[in-house]
Amino acid sequence: MATRTPPLPLHALGRGSVALAVVAVQLVAFAAAYSLGRPTLYAVFVVLSAAGLGFASRRGLFGVAMATLGSVLLVALGLPLLLFAARQSPSLIAEKALDPGVHRVLYLGVYAPLLAAVASLALGVPLAYHLSRGFTGQPLVESLVDLPLVVPHSVAGIIILFGFGQGGALPGLSVLGTLPGMVLALTFVSAPYAVNAAREAFESVDDRLEYAARVHGASPWQAFRRVTGPLAVRGMVTGGVLAWARSVSEFGAVAVVAYSVEFFYPPAGERVIAQHAPVFVYNTYLQGGLDESGAVAALLLAVSAAIFLLVRWLTTDATTTQGVA
Amino acid sequence: MTLEVDVEATFSADGADAFHVAADFSVRDGETVVILGPSGSGKTLLLETVAGFHDHEGTVDNDELVLSDRPPEGRDFAFVFQDYALFPHMTVSENVGFGTRYEWTDDGWVASLADRFRSALGRFGSAISRPRSTVSKLWRRLRGGTGPAPEPPGLRLLADLGVADLAERYPPTLSGGEAQRVALARALAVDPAVLLLDEPLSSLDVPTRQALRDDLQDVLADVTSIYVTHDRTTARALADRIVVMNDGQVVQTGTPEDVFERPASPLVARFTGSNVVPLSALGDRADRLLDGDRDATHLTVRPEAVELGANDPDLTGTVERVTREDATSRVTVAVDGIDSPVTVFSADPPTPGTTVTLRFPRERVATCRD
Repeated sequence: MATRTPPLPLHALGRGSVALAVVAVQLVAFAAAYSLGRPTLYAVFVVLSAAGLGFASRRGLFGVAMATLGSVLLVALGLPLLLFAARQSPSLIAEKALDPGVHRVLYLGVYAPLLAAVASLALGVPLAYHLSRGFTGQPLVESLVDLPLVVPHSVAGIIILFGFGQGGALPGLSVLGTLPGMVLALTFVSAPYAVNAAREAFESVDDRLEYAARVHGASPWQAFRRVTGPLAVRGMVTGGVLAWARSVSEFGAVAVVAYSVEFFYPPAGERVIAQHAPVFVYNTYLQGGLDESGAVAALLLAVSAAIFLLVRWLTTDATTTQGVA
Repeated sequence: MTLEVDVEATFSADGADAFHVAADFSVRDGETVVILGPSGSGKTLLLETVAGFHDHEGTVDNDELVLSDRPPEGRDFAFVFQDYALFPHMTVSENVGFGTRYEWTDDGWVASLADRFRSALGRFGSAISRPRSTVSKLWRRLRGGTGPAPEPPGLRLLADLGVADLAERYPPTLSGGEAQRVALARALAVDPAVLLLDEPLSSLDVPTRQALRDDLQDVLADVTSIYVTHDRTTARALADRIVVMNDGQVVQTGTPEDVFERPASPLVARFTGSNVVPLSALGDRADRLLDGDRDATHLTVRPEAVELGANDPDLTGTVERVTREDATSRVTVAVDGIDSPVTVFSADPPTPGTTVTLRFPRERVATCRD
């Protein structure tokens, strides 16, 4: 590849400036298609421009075909998002953003998932450690951990009610419509993310580092605290944030277990009733129509995007290893 | 103190046959015992078993204690790993100081928890009884500390090994030779009763390896150690005694002289670089060389002892290959009736293809059985 001469001056530019140029062209094209009221034109433009970029990358017909097919998926993922953003009414969003009822929903929608993420990590990290070191019967435990990933989430909610509701394992605890119930449901569906991310992190720590710690005097606790734990901390944090993000977006299990939740709301200094954000969006859609729910969804999307950016930032090398590979 | 090792362990990996390792040997005070064997002979697993990393049958004990009843941190060993195994998130001086923070007691975890509780209570007590000093200590800590920093433990060891200037670096930024010196310092810093070394030189390039081998020779002179290697040159240079392993079993134990001059089997002889000649290939010349060992099947002799082009030869062969080495040449001679060619050293080597005579000095010849 190195010996080929590039056909277009594209390669002469830095990667950053090429990306910037592509984004700018796409935005202009989208604005033009949107103001014409023909977003379909933009979809066609994306696929054609991807084909053009595939051609410019000099991988021949193969490159063109791959770029074209890939761009169809990008259109399916990105175009609704662009249209969603473009079609929001700023005044409606501002009105919703000032609504105390929405504040409660956003508070609950970030706070309860945080509790679930903490629970997933606190109990998931020890399990992840054992899974990474191996034991008899491990495949069975692995399947159990991954079970919530394949169970439909409304079913997960039903399972929670049977397990921890009336006549369940925690007789003193009422789960239906309570914060503990909501956190239980969120933990059930999000713990696999925390366990699997932490487990991968533990697996990437060389056994010999732990041996080295032990043979030079550290107890199993000390070896974990000073060597294995710090080296796996990035995976644990990632797992926690993933579990948090998964919980923020959870609908099915929460709708079954805790459709409306009564909880203590510090800004008001009293107990209030609200719904988990995805449930609230669905509710608004049923009652207020697309425009109202769109405004609430935009606010929730902003929160989710912030979480997503946080995940990306936490999982880049530079932020967590202090420049040490 | 003599360390007595008598262990057996079975290792199984998914889809592979179980691998059985068994060994019985002792390490006397101040001695370096080299475990020598080909790759896959189980020598690293044996060393890790001695260190307490794997479950096993049998015992490891010194004169007073059964060490194998204790966890790795209670055995008073230190370990140098083939690929260094330095803690990547700690500086060099933190790595070297790692082991010096811990002291093992066999009082069990209840007593140790109680101990920690008591000392935490004591710290809390002194903190509330002397609030001013506590506040100023906290303040100093917040500002990043003032006054002279305490000398990190092990700094002198780093200096002895010539790597003191690396103290504040992180392991991923070190070269192989530097990393292994740091790993050696980390191991020596705990002043272990026995130092365990697992192929510490084999990840290094040749000049670095020779330099570190010289340093190791000095270090191991005063330290009781077990040293695992597949490299016979290193074994000969460092060993007081050698344990030769093959396929998980000990096949010979002895001084370097024993192992190199009088290998116990053709297998050991080949692995230590001796020539192996079946007696059948020598015909009636065998009688001249044998000390009446009628059970022997093979004769072994070091390449440097074989005389090339002598009168009254024991064997005749054709020069197959001449390889130039530092001060001499290694000549391999193909002989009818012997599977592997005979190796000889010569300062004035014949050209390949010529016919040469070989004579074995009687006093350098040993015999062994299959």
